[in-house]
Amino acid sequence: MGKSKIHPDQMYIEGLAANDSAIIQTIYKKFVPKVVMFIMNNSGDKEHAQDVVQEVMILLFNQAKANTLQLTCPFDAYFFLLCKRKWLNELKKTSNKGVTINEDAVSMNESALELIGQTEEFDEKQQLFDTMFQKLGEKCQELLKLSFTIKSMEEVAEKLNVTYGYVRKKKSLCVGQLTQWIQEAKNFKSLKNN
Amino acid sequence: MNEERYILFDQYLQGELTVDERNGFENQLSQDPEMAAEFETFKNLHVQLEDKFGYEEEREAFKANLKTISDKHFNTSKPKVIGLNAWYFAAAASVLILFGLFFFNYNQNPVFEDYNHPEQASFTERGETQETMQQAQTAFNERQYAEAIPLFESILKEKKTPEVQYFYGISLLEESHYKKAETVFNELISGTSVYKDKAKWNLALSKLKQKDYKGCKETLQTISQDYENYDDVQNLLDDLD
Repeated sequence: MGKSKIHPDQMYIEGLAANDSAIIQTIYKKFVPKVVMFIMNNSGDKEHAQDVVQEVMILLFNQAKANTLQLTCPFDAYFFLLCKRKWLNELKKTSNKGVTINEDAVSMNESALELIGQTEEFDEKQQLFDTMFQKLGEKCQELLKLSFTIKSMEEVAEKLNVTYGYVRKKKSLCVGQLTQWIQEAKNFKSLKNN
Repeated sequence: MNEERYILFDQYLQGELTVDERNGFENQLSQDPEMAAEFETFKNLHVQLEDKFGYEEEREAFKANLKTISDKHFNTSKPKVIGLNAWYFAAAASVLILFGLFFFNYNQNPVFEDYNHPEQASFTERGETQETMQQAQTAFNERQYAEAIPLFESILKEKKTPEVQYFYGISLLEESHYKKAETVFNELISGTSVYKDKAKWNLALSKLKQKDYKGCKETLQTISQDYENYDDVQNLLDDLD
């Protein structure tokens, strides 16, 4: 994969990551009306549009924070298609109505499609992670939270009033539990697809 | 669960294995694709956990800000979907207004009423104060400000949010309780909420209503050009000159 040139619209991504109100307002002003139109013309209403946009914005924030979002195409097309696909997937989930997804592949350039693929993969991974994390016991959640905010395991041990050896072992096992569940989910998915 | 395995993974990542142990581990990985896949997931989880907790505060702040902007966008954009007829009226009205301005409005100071277009309130708060919120919202949107004021006051006593403060301030201004209104706006201005610039605009309107043109102008000049209704600010500034 060659290094494509970063598009000047990367400023929107940076603005989201920095929680810059002016940039967020601009995105709403410039790019959201088109999404609203699309959703309202496709069995949705304003509230649906509001939710979809909000979800996509949070997704972009997360991906930008993880430093894995580099825009190689105009923000407009990228953002619109992400929202559109999210909405159509939503429709597929909630209704049994046949939903036809006309792919815009013809009108989209390759880098935009690739980028959307990456973002959707990021989204999927994140959702799997979140679901599994919620499944963990309270103790594991608490320990992981401390381990990844305090960083020094000695301090974590002190805070929880247990030994260093114990928190180290417990942390390995909590991450291990997540690993196991995620592996199983992945195996199941590839089994289903084959 | 293969406990030993995960403990080993962790020790490897922390660089706690001896050279021999490390070589043995890497060797094992290269021969066992299932274990290698598992190790890959284990490693990635560390990145995800770091992202989750490392940016938790920022993420919450972002979500809150996003929600405010989004709510505002979706409520204020309603008037934009007026039908064609309304556009005709709007066009006709603006022609009339233009004529009016042309013939009559020389050297007159702007008046508060011309700029008094409070937005609609739309609270989404849930919880104990919900009912009062609903009443306050209805009263406000129906311009029954005297009725809205005590409702806002009781909400603010329970929980102070910039949104409620903002609409409380406007109600006070509409009822000409200038001192109280300006205290509320000044508090919002010194805060960091998205109502900062809106509060400045309303503070300027309060000065205007009191015919304090100098104070009005000075306040307007502090509003950032990024403010969404900067056009109004510019118009009022032009009128003041």
